[in-house]
Amino acid sequence: MSESQKTTGRRDPERGRVAVLWIGAVVLVAASIALAFRQEDAHRTLVLHEAEAQTDVLAGSVSAALAFEDQDAMRQYLEALTRNPEIAAAGIYGPNGQRLAMSTRLGAAPPPATVTAEADSQNGGAARIARVVTEQGQRQGFVYLRTEPESLGEFVGRHTGLVILTLLALLLLSFMTRAAQRLASANARLSEEIEARAAAEDALRQSQKLEALGQLTGGIAHDFNNLLQAIYGAFELILNKPGDPKTVSRWARNGLEAANRGASLTRQLLAFSRQQKLELKPLIVAERLEGMHELLARTLGPRVELAFDLDHDRVTVMSDATQLEVAVMNLAVNARDAMPDGGRLTVRTRKIQLEDDALLAPGAYLQLQVTDTGHGMPPHVARRAFDPFFTTKAVGKGTGLGLAQVYGVARQAGGDARIVSSPEAGATVTLLFREASGDVAGPAPEPPPAPLPTTAPSATVLLIDDDDAVRGVVRGGLEMRGYTVIDANSGEAALAIAGEAQPHIAVVDYAMPGMDGAQTAESLRRILPGLPIILASGYSDTAAVERALGGAATVLRKPFDINALSLALERLLAEG
Amino acid sequence: MRRKGRRQRWTTALATALAVASLAHAEVAHAQVAQAGAPTLETAVKAAYLAKFAPFVVWPASVFATPTAPLALCVQGDDPFGPLLDHEAAGQSVGGHPVAVRRVAQLAADSGCQIAFVGGSSVQSRAAALKAVDGLPVLTVTDGGDSSGRGIVQLVLTDGRVRFAIDADKARQSGMTISSRLLALGVAGR
Repeated sequence: MSESQKTTGRRDPERGRVAVLWIGAVVLVAASIALAFRQEDAHRTLVLHEAEAQTDVLAGSVSAALAFEDQDAMRQYLEALTRNPEIAAAGIYGPNGQRLAMSTRLGAAPPPATVTAEADSQNGGAARIARVVTEQGQRQGFVYLRTEPESLGEFVGRHTGLVILTLLALLLLSFMTRAAQRLASANARLSEEIEARAAAEDALRQSQKLEALGQLTGGIAHDFNNLLQAIYGAFELILNKPGDPKTVSRWARNGLEAANRGASLTRQLLAFSRQQKLELKPLIVAERLEGMHELLARTLGPRVELAFDLDHDRVTVMSDATQLEVAVMNLAVNARDAMPDGGRLTVRTRKIQLEDDALLAPGAYLQLQVTDTGHGMPPHVARRAFDPFFTTKAVGKGTGLGLAQVYGVARQAGGDARIVSSPEAGATVTLLFREASGDVAGPAPEPPPAPLPTTAPSATVLLIDDDDAVRGVVRGGLEMRGYTVIDANSGEAALAIAGEAQPHIAVVDYAMPGMDGAQTAESLRRILPGLPIILASGYSDTAAVERALGGAATVLRKPFDINALSLALERLLAEG
Repeated sequence: MRRKGRRQRWTTALATALAVASLAHAEVAHAQVAQAGAPTLETAVKAAYLAKFAPFVVWPASVFATPTAPLALCVQGDDPFGPLLDHEAAGQSVGGHPVAVRRVAQLAADSGCQIAFVGGSSVQSRAAALKAVDGLPVLTVTDGGDSSGRGIVQLVLTDGRVRFAIDADKARQSGMTISSRLLALGVAGR
């Protein structure tokens, strides 16, 4: 439905109401007129009947006076009659029709000079009645009576009530019509305002989005620039002293460290964008935190005192260990930035029982609180602190993703993140993790770094990646470890050579133009059934990948180091 | 509206003229009768009155032998009206009974008169005649009233006009009912 249609839909009922009111007014007027005609008709009939009754009475009383031509008596009868203001003229006539007596109201025409027959007529509201007078069957004469025609005043007076009622009803209707019209136009105006408001909000959102995007890209560019600087510097130094193994190894390690930081940054971004699945595993928060003491202390610097106040309840929660650590790091970095002149950071964990929380279901939760003594934040900032891309840091200094990531970690662990802060009173960020049922299998032992194999494996690896640099580096690393590597820069190219090359294993990049990793892997399987495949992916659309491969693929998260790749290769080849 | 009013006025004027003309003619007629039969205008009016009482009186049904039996209007004793009365009563019919004028010398219980003008005479005095039908359903009419007795209806001359007085009680006692409309015209009833 288009906007205009929606608008019309909203206005129509109001227009309909106005139309109904108009029809009502017309019907009312028509009914009033019909009623008035009816009333008028009834009134005329009544006037005629009244006049007839009066005439009959006169005819009945006047017979003797008529018979004896008693003028006085006749005049008395007539005068008595014409005292009634409705009667204009009356007359008494002899048996031959000649007038014997008459009485006329002032200004009215006299009765006719002769009356020779009974008559009943009405003209313009005036009734004319003539009646024969008999006594015991003997005709004595006639009487005649004419009523006053109704004056305009009386006519108006008779209909005033109806007219007033009709006018009042019309007035009421017109008020209602106007009210309905006003309502309709108000509605239309409101609709327009709502549309304008919606458009303005859209525009605002768009500009906020762009601003956020600017902040994000600024922040990421800044971070990556630093990392690149470190890597760039390391390689430059290595190039300068290629013959000095000590220097080369030291700077190579520095470069690797920087690359690792970059990897963690991309993981953070992906976790935020939800493209990377959190690896939710049962863990005990206090244990994880204990291992972070050194790192946190170094992050905070010498001017910030770090205090740990951890529980011993061994509450198991479901979370991603790495993401939890990143969250705590984010909180620590924020706290450090909030305390430029030093202060104290307290990390505290407690097991708590929630009963009637507005958001969370009742039950046991682990509460992780990170409290600083920094400059705090005003309410309007605190309210938006968890919003993605919201940052108070200068452009290029922060991504606005730190607290959003913290929030995401807590929510994904079935909990919530809350912030309490006021200016100059520090800030406390509380993370709640729902207690998980079941035990924690102790932290998996870190696999020992794979030593360079003494005997080179003779396996042939089909390496498929559209990125020449990545392909070159990985190929170099694998060849260094004794693998035979055949590479291809697309799924299509790989399929063309796979049959001839007969690789023992394939390493496939997931995100490629044309055929993606999953499609390539599937096609490879068709040519070489049972071929072990490692999918390298920065995205963690693992579920889709696994669905595509029927669970027969190993997913290696990018970026990876050659050690991790060769470990995976060895494991798969051993299984095969 | 205006034109109609004018027409009405014209009609009125014409009617008035006609009425005046007819009245004048009536006066002339009366004068002619008075000259011809030598009775006075007063006698003529009395004759007319006498003929007009019948419709206002209700007699017991037993006085008529049949529903169409004539209603006898008798003149006892001296007859002051002559043919005037016959003229007035001619063609009259009251409740199905044709009015018949009879002249009787003496009034008796079995005279069969419903209305009797008691004039009195040497043969039968007014008092004797009245006494003869006393208590019977006979509407006795006398011209004036004196010591010799009065009828149920007395014709009197008041302010130069012929009027009548009615003894309603006596009429009732005699078994007759006289219309209140007639009673209202009577001088006593005024």
